[in-house]
Amino acid sequence: MLISCNKLKCYIKNPEDIDWLNIWSTFTIRTAEVEGVKEVGNTFDKVVVAEILECEEHPDSDHLHVLKVDCGEDEPIQVVCGAPNVRVGLKTAYVKVGGNIDGMEIKARPLRGILSNGMCCSGRELAISESHEGILELPESWINGTDIKKLLPIEDIIVEIDNKSLTNRPDLWGHYGIAREICAITNHELLPLQIEEITNDKENLDIVIKNPELCLRYCGLKIENIKNNQTPLDMQVFLYYVGLRSISLLVDLTNYLMLEIGQPMHAFDGRVVKNIEVGLANEKDTYTTLDGVERALTNEMLMIKNENKYFGIAGVMGGLDSEILPDTTSTFLESATFHSGSVRRTAQKLGLRTEASARYEKSLDPNMTDFAIKRFVYLLRQENKDLEITSNLTDVYPKKSQEETIILDKKTLKIYMGKELEDNTVKTILESLGFKVSINVDSYDVIVPSFRATKDVKIKQDIIEEIARIYGLENFTPKPLKLDLVPTEHENIYLQEYNVKKLLATRFNASEVHSYLWYDTSLLKDLGIEKNNVKLLGKESNHILRDDMSLSLLSIVKENFKNKTSFKIFEIGTIIQDNQNHRTLSIILAEDETKLESSYREAKMIVKYLFKALKNIDVDLTNNINEKKYYNENLGNVIKVGTQKFGELNVLSKICTNKLSKKKCVVTIDIDFDRFVELLPIDKLSYEVSKYPNVELDYTIIAGKEDKYKDLNEILEQFKSPIIKNNRLVSVYEDDYEKKFTIRYTVGSDEKTLEGKELNDFKEKFIEFIRQNGLEIIE
Amino acid sequence: MKEELKEVVLSLQNELKECTKEADILNVKSKYLGKKSTLNNYLSNLKDMTVEEKKVNGPLLNQMKKEIEKLVETRLEEINNQETNNFDETLPVDYEMGSLHPITIITNEITDIFRKMGFTIVSGPEMESDYYNFEALNVPKDHPARDMQDTYYLDNGMVLRTQTSDNQIHAMENYGAPLRICAPGRVFRNEDLDANHENTFFQIEGMVIDKEISIENLLYVMQKIISEVMKQEVHLRLRPGYFPFTEPSYEIDMECLICGGSGCPTCKNSGYIEMLGSGMIHPNVLKSGGVDPEQYTGFAFGIGLTRLAMMKYKINDIRVLNGGDLRYLKQFEIN
Repeated sequence: MLISCNKLKCYIKNPEDIDWLNIWSTFTIRTAEVEGVKEVGNTFDKVVVAEILECEEHPDSDHLHVLKVDCGEDEPIQVVCGAPNVRVGLKTAYVKVGGNIDGMEIKARPLRGILSNGMCCSGRELAISESHEGILELPESWINGTDIKKLLPIEDIIVEIDNKSLTNRPDLWGHYGIAREICAITNHELLPLQIEEITNDKENLDIVIKNPELCLRYCGLKIENIKNNQTPLDMQVFLYYVGLRSISLLVDLTNYLMLEIGQPMHAFDGRVVKNIEVGLANEKDTYTTLDGVERALTNEMLMIKNENKYFGIAGVMGGLDSEILPDTTSTFLESATFHSGSVRRTAQKLGLRTEASARYEKSLDPNMTDFAIKRFVYLLRQENKDLEITSNLTDVYPKKSQEETIILDKKTLKIYMGKELEDNTVKTILESLGFKVSINVDSYDVIVPSFRATKDVKIKQDIIEEIARIYGLENFTPKPLKLDLVPTEHENIYLQEYNVKKLLATRFNASEVHSYLWYDTSLLKDLGIEKNNVKLLGKESNHILRDDMSLSLLSIVKENFKNKTSFKIFEIGTIIQDNQNHRTLSIILAEDETKLESSYREAKMIVKYLFKALKNIDVDLTNNINEKKYYNENLGNVIKVGTQKFGELNVLSKICTNKLSKKKCVVTIDIDFDRFVELLPIDKLSYEVSKYPNVELDYTIIAGKEDKYKDLNEILEQFKSPIIKNNRLVSVYEDDYEKKFTIRYTVGSDEKTLEGKELNDFKEKFIEFIRQNGLEIIE
Repeated sequence: MKEELKEVVLSLQNELKECTKEADILNVKSKYLGKKSTLNNYLSNLKDMTVEEKKVNGPLLNQMKKEIEKLVETRLEEINNQETNNFDETLPVDYEMGSLHPITIITNEITDIFRKMGFTIVSGPEMESDYYNFEALNVPKDHPARDMQDTYYLDNGMVLRTQTSDNQIHAMENYGAPLRICAPGRVFRNEDLDANHENTFFQIEGMVIDKEISIENLLYVMQKIISEVMKQEVHLRLRPGYFPFTEPSYEIDMECLICGGSGCPTCKNSGYIEMLGSGMIHPNVLKSGGVDPEQYTGFAFGIGLTRLAMMKYKINDIRVLNGGDLRYLKQFEIN
């Protein structure tokens, strides 16, 4: 929102004591964020009032005129001017020779052979309006030669306030409210606004509110005999500076009131209004707003109706047929309060956010409506001495707002502030903001002004906020917490997540990625996968929440295959299964297709390592019966601890892999991280190591080409001997005909060093056992 | 015999010199000490000798045996201790490092700070009920924050949480007052993506509840935490703000570290950089969590972790964070 400091000065006693350029950094920490402060009206000088005394056509041009102007000097001055509205007697703005406009010095120079001494200016040339159709037309009463800056509020400071920081302050959506804050901040006196009191000795207007919960108050007034619809220049400059276009006095005044006190108003053509009804629209009706757009209505939108026809969308925008026409001399003035949520929803549905709707959304003070009308009449009368009020100030106010008193106990104030304040300090601060305060022994009774009572000041903490900010937030000193020396109770999910991430990154060179909570639906389609899970409302794509984290990570896999053949990624994130959040760890190993075996084995190793390193648990990997079509049906493992399933290890099907990239393989691991977190680590206990040495014996067993280690292991497990400590697979060698498994047995005794004979016996028995099972063995 | 034995020693010494491998030495050893060796021959003849001869030759042969054994042992040791480096030690080594997501790194840094200050780290669900995301946090039914355009509503009646503040309620329910928690987590806003806007980003929530907690305590904790994050003493300012879950609410700005508050391009000439939103917990929120607002006060705050990471690592485009491009993410190696 743009704020004119010239306007603020009108509302404050002794405004010259305030540093208007620098007050805004203080305003930022007291009230609301200021986004910019800009000086305007300093782009020109030596511009004075000048009267056209003579006006001749330029002999050598079809549009230029040669003027003689009186600019307050002894002799008239010759100026060449191209504006169409030149005429004898017109008073306009004139830049003297040696003056500047927008950084350009004005010199005496010939135009088509005739010397022009200076320049007559349009509003745009002086940057005080958009108008460039002609030179400025100034009032006849202005004295020739007077510096224009002395007559118009051209030199100004325009401040931009962040609208978001005003969200909860309906009172700050007009200049008067900002002036009140400045007064509170700088300890100045706020001047009252002048109004015209209206005597209700005429007839009431016909106004009916059908939905009092949505239209809280509606005031109307009929005014006639408005002959001058010309907005005074100073108001035009003001409107232009704060971002509005001047249209006509009646329209400009409604805007002016909105900018001054924040109350949106509407001036209907007085000839058209017969009776006003405020009620809901019919579903699927259409209505053409002032901007010429036809809009679809719903039965939740509040409308202004005249003679049972739509006349405006309440709080948002008027209609084409309610527009005030240039030839009117009468107006029906509307000043109403609509429900904030209703206006917001209507504006949002229509995609039509206006200055009015932005204000109504904030919950405006219903007590402003009649005041705004009285102020409007006062201002209108400045330009129309003979206007006539032809109706009562008709006020439909179904449920009057009640004055609210909040009790603020001094103890709570002290706790929040961290210090005690003098009663007088509290009283002065609150009164400067319009609150009324009475002081009790232990508390304050605070009456909230109606302009703060609609939404933002409801409880004692709201009052504390007011006191704290005007007291000065920079006057608070940081104070440490008093800590009780009790150990804090820790949820350890966060730490476990971090430990796993760190392990994967350091031990297995994997890279952590983040991906979205929803599937990339175009990729799903590409892979021929249909998913049915919880969906985001109002979205057509990327709207299905993921229930398989690895699958959702495939978009990232696909992207990275463009640059790399081999990589490992992981994420710990949320998936949604059975309408529940589940924390999941996914690890993906992407490789060239020839590396499938090693990737698969590495994946298994990673799973085993994670459980062993972090939980001291030997996890079981059992064969998976794959239900998901997009995974390879022959490969894959279920990750189990005891009988409980902790996750799966899978290989992406060839069809899907090929969609990501050709000649690749993708191995995926998904671990239920909630379960992993809950899994208690097995205590590590020390055990005695034998005092006697162990002996390692390697045997290479020759098996058939198609034989699997699992089968061999089943055989090996049947071989028992008291001296076996353990056995493990050391290597596998495979050629065209056979597979050679090298198994290493560690043997030893806790009672003595094994003798050669015992070792020999073991070897002989083992070799015999293997041969009995139909396998060959190399010692 | 004595002379002969001397020669045996000499030839042994020569042969050992020739040996370069352990196996060669063992061969030489068996030649000089084995069954067919000269020494063994003398030893086996010993039994046929007279008592006098035995007295002289016995010790001589024994000494000789020890000498031979020692020579073999010494040479064996020499060979075992020989350095072997017959490979190309100039071949390059290849190693790959894993990486952590920048958000993880910064989250870990910041939670470390909180832990030092005695905060519990908690976590909450990403798919959240309307109650925890809005209602319990004093966001009334008609509040603009509930608008469709900001919130991802789900077809099961839940929402994707729009802020980590849901943790406030969960924590109060789980632990009661007094309380010191922080809760890093992922949040969602229905926004169109561009260099500065993401629909999925990270925040960390913090909350302290105790008897007589003041605005000054809030300022202290924030000052300490931001100073630790920035690794230098920072100056903060409070500015009035508005959040439904706190009252009073404050935006917290940090005096620009580049210009020291005098204004520069980094702080857009304002001298300050917006850091976080905070405030004193709204009594309605305390009530939602089952805490009596007449007995306890507290403060809460939310820091944008994604924004912090972008500031810290000078990330210009927010989209890289969820993009998963390893060429980018691999920069954040573990070390």
